[in-house]
Amino acid sequence: MSNPMSAPDSGPALVARSVAKRFGSTQALSDASLEVRAGEVHGLLGANGAGKSTLSRIICGHVGRDSGELLYRARTLSPRSTREALDSGIALVAQETSLAPDLSVLENIFLPELGRPGRLSFPDMRRRASDILARLGRDHALPLDQEVRRLSAAQRQLVEIAKALALDADLMIFDEPTASLSPSEVDRLFDILARLREQGHALIFVSHRLEEVFTVTDRVTILREGRTVAASLDTARLTQTDIIRHMVGRDLGAIYATPGLDRRGGARDPVLEVTNLSARPIVRDVSFTVHRGEILGIGGLVGAGRSEAMEALFGLRPRDGGTIRLKGREIALRRPVDAIRQGIGFVAEDRRAQNIVPDLSVRENLMLAHLGRHRGFGLGYRQRQDRVDTLLAQLGLPTDRMDASLLTFSGGMQQKIIMARWLLIDPEVLILDEPTKGVDIGTRSAIYRILRDIADQGVAVVVISSDFEELLGVTERVVVMSDGITIADLPTPILTEEKLTLLAAPRSSTTRNRALLETLAREHGAFAWWALLEEDSLICLGTAAAATAPPLDLRAGEALHPRDTPIPRALAARAQGIVTDGALATLLVPLRNARGHDLGWIGLTAAADTPLPDPGQIAAQVRRLTRDSDDIEGDAA
Amino acid sequence: MSAPTAARPALPGRLIRTLEVRMLGLALVIAVGLSLMSPYFLTQNNIFNILDQSVVIGIVAVGMTFVILTGGIDLSVGSVAGLTGIVLGLALRDLPIPLAIAAAVAAGAFIGLISGVLVAVFGLAPFVVTLGMMAIGRSLAYIFSGQTAISGIPESLSAIVYTTVLGIPANVIFLLLLYLAAWAYLTYTKGGRTIYAVGSNREAARAAGLNVLGYSILPYVISGALAAVAITFSIAQILSADPLAGNQMELDAIAAVVIGGASLYGGRGSIIGTLIGVLIMVMIRNGLNLMGVSPFWQGTAIGSIIILALLAERLFNWRSAR
Repeated sequence: MSNPMSAPDSGPALVARSVAKRFGSTQALSDASLEVRAGEVHGLLGANGAGKSTLSRIICGHVGRDSGELLYRARTLSPRSTREALDSGIALVAQETSLAPDLSVLENIFLPELGRPGRLSFPDMRRRASDILARLGRDHALPLDQEVRRLSAAQRQLVEIAKALALDADLMIFDEPTASLSPSEVDRLFDILARLREQGHALIFVSHRLEEVFTVTDRVTILREGRTVAASLDTARLTQTDIIRHMVGRDLGAIYATPGLDRRGGARDPVLEVTNLSARPIVRDVSFTVHRGEILGIGGLVGAGRSEAMEALFGLRPRDGGTIRLKGREIALRRPVDAIRQGIGFVAEDRRAQNIVPDLSVRENLMLAHLGRHRGFGLGYRQRQDRVDTLLAQLGLPTDRMDASLLTFSGGMQQKIIMARWLLIDPEVLILDEPTKGVDIGTRSAIYRILRDIADQGVAVVVISSDFEELLGVTERVVVMSDGITIADLPTPILTEEKLTLLAAPRSSTTRNRALLETLAREHGAFAWWALLEEDSLICLGTAAAATAPPLDLRAGEALHPRDTPIPRALAARAQGIVTDGALATLLVPLRNARGHDLGWIGLTAAADTPLPDPGQIAAQVRRLTRDSDDIEGDAA
Repeated sequence: MSAPTAARPALPGRLIRTLEVRMLGLALVIAVGLSLMSPYFLTQNNIFNILDQSVVIGIVAVGMTFVILTGGIDLSVGSVAGLTGIVLGLALRDLPIPLAIAAAVAAGAFIGLISGVLVAVFGLAPFVVTLGMMAIGRSLAYIFSGQTAISGIPESLSAIVYTTVLGIPANVIFLLLLYLAAWAYLTYTKGGRTIYAVGSNREAARAAGLNVLGYSILPYVISGALAAVAITFSIAQILSADPLAGNQMELDAIAAVVIGGASLYGGRGSIIGTLIGVLIMVMIRNGLNLMGVSPFWQGTAIGSIIILALLAERLFNWRSAR
């Protein structure tokens, strides 16, 4: 099975026609079709809950289909188990969920082999694993004998990828493989995908990150609410707007219910102020403030410690430092009930594991936070009944199914019930961790509208999301976390997905750029900085200053209007040479990585009377120092 | 994708979907079957017999229900009963009856507290902790008793069994009141709902601010205390405290709770179901005795009926899940 299909076989490698699948009361797929050729990267797109993952899992035999046709190399494919799918040459790179945490990296890479009869040769496996990791360029970053539970999210993702490569399957499905990778790791993965494509493998790339889709795919198929709405379109002929229209079935603006006026923030009262919160080893230094009536976003990559920080704040995880102020008063939150009694609500990320109590009715699930807060022997349900009725009406929930099991509800309805659970305690602050995960698109926009309403009623809302588009659509301000540290606090209007991606990159993966800044500052007695630059904004990503450098008021994670900096002329000019602003001389050099991605600008500012070296020489130095800047030892720590 | 608004099924359909109703049906089927096989089964005398025989196991099963609802298990109830029986026997030598009973119950609660703390605070597996307690309890029972049954229990103790109210013996009345109280507690109080929530999804219960720790420990305390209460009624009847008393009582109690529809994973089960489970267990044993079935065969019969009941339940759930 390890021979990729020969090219002359011109028929599609995989055909899915009208596949349908139902989970309980949720119709996950109703009419999904897909056609993938050998030697292409086929994008499978769709919003959260569109059915991308379900279709992938059906193809790979993780779940069965209710109806529809599946042809693999012109033969009907009905994998009853993952084993059968693997044997016919189909492999899935899942979202880091299919690893055995207690086994080593090596054993995980060859996990599918453990299911085969016969003897295992560990020396042979070790050799093959080293080969695969070398192909990934990560042989130094993934110790083969390490237990998987001790790996970072990015490392686990790499193990998933290596596992699929070890199978050398003809058809590989990559299900959101980039969710926890840094930009340079993403680039490397794309190189591998390109190589696999040239070798004649058929690749399905599942994603909702449009930038990546344009970089890597040849054709795309778009799902919406379980249906294929656009089949096998050539990526080259599409625009982002086309794809978004297919994905959401309407214009993007309509999904996010953000009134334009309120987004400036203005001088509102701070409600929750968190300073230097730490819960080692994951949460190291988290500070942020959220105001009355504001929706604050917490952005970052998977594994940056966002959920953990909020859990520590809420008392679900031991803290070892930091202060929390609610309306100016310092509060001690040791257990969740303390937070709840202070008026903080928390919708945790994993609905099934952290929110739903399956054996209690919908009503009791809704009442659960009330019950936690309630002081008394009885239940106190009756006193809250009026408020429950109001909330159900407000959230558009049925009132006649309160005694059913919450598990019979769709993901979106479940999420609304959980939100109602917290609204019932009339919170001052409501924290929501990935509030639209696994929620269908219709409910998603309803949830955004609810969030807006809650904020307008004066609640301070904090939204954690890995979906940058969602963050940009919903929030007024975004705090970015990376490696357990809050590194930026920026108003949403000046942000884009690309900027967020750069800001969210693990700090460890930018060590080289920071070393570059320090070298430049030291060698030229100047203030060196790294920033994203636009007409009307400058977002600083890092700085380094020599002792003799002129003081420049620029800090990492800060955004400024160019005219508010001491060097407006230099920023406007972006010339090849040195530009002086009064007593300051500035040199700007664009920064690009090996694949030519725009990484912003490196700036060097010195007193006008200190001679800056030849601009060409600096540019060459930056190029030389950044040539390998994507070869990052990021996660070796 | 909004979930379909399923029409409410008609009343008979709703009833048959209630586990307690199905189990009550099973209990009636067994009762009818046994009365056909033995004419003596349905006499008033024998019905009182069945209720009387239900008291000890029924009391223990209440505590076991609490523990199983949190997802735990208490294998030590039999030994705790044996040990607290000895405590009662010894205490009765020096103390008045109420104080002696209080001492025995306190001893049972204390052992439950230790188990509960080990399980909830230190995160040890309930199976292992209570298995250890089971061995310790039985061993201490032998040591404290000097390896022989303690006789000379004051006869006035038997009043707690043989006093009658409206012709119903006190121990049966106590059993019914206990079930009523336990049912009300589990259904209408914060603590009771917390026990369900903890067993169903500990993480969610914690995140909602419920006192997960406290209500993980409490069921073991209740279980230990009720084991002592149960053995008190037993001693009151035979007027002797045997260190071997309560042997294998945990198996009957667990079986009754499970027949009553509780899930050993926690979160699911009811006190009414447990009462029905107790009655089914006692009826079968009583019926087999009436028919003169050898005690050696009774284990096989009871074991088979438990397994068949669970199997039928699982098949029913598979069918209705479709």
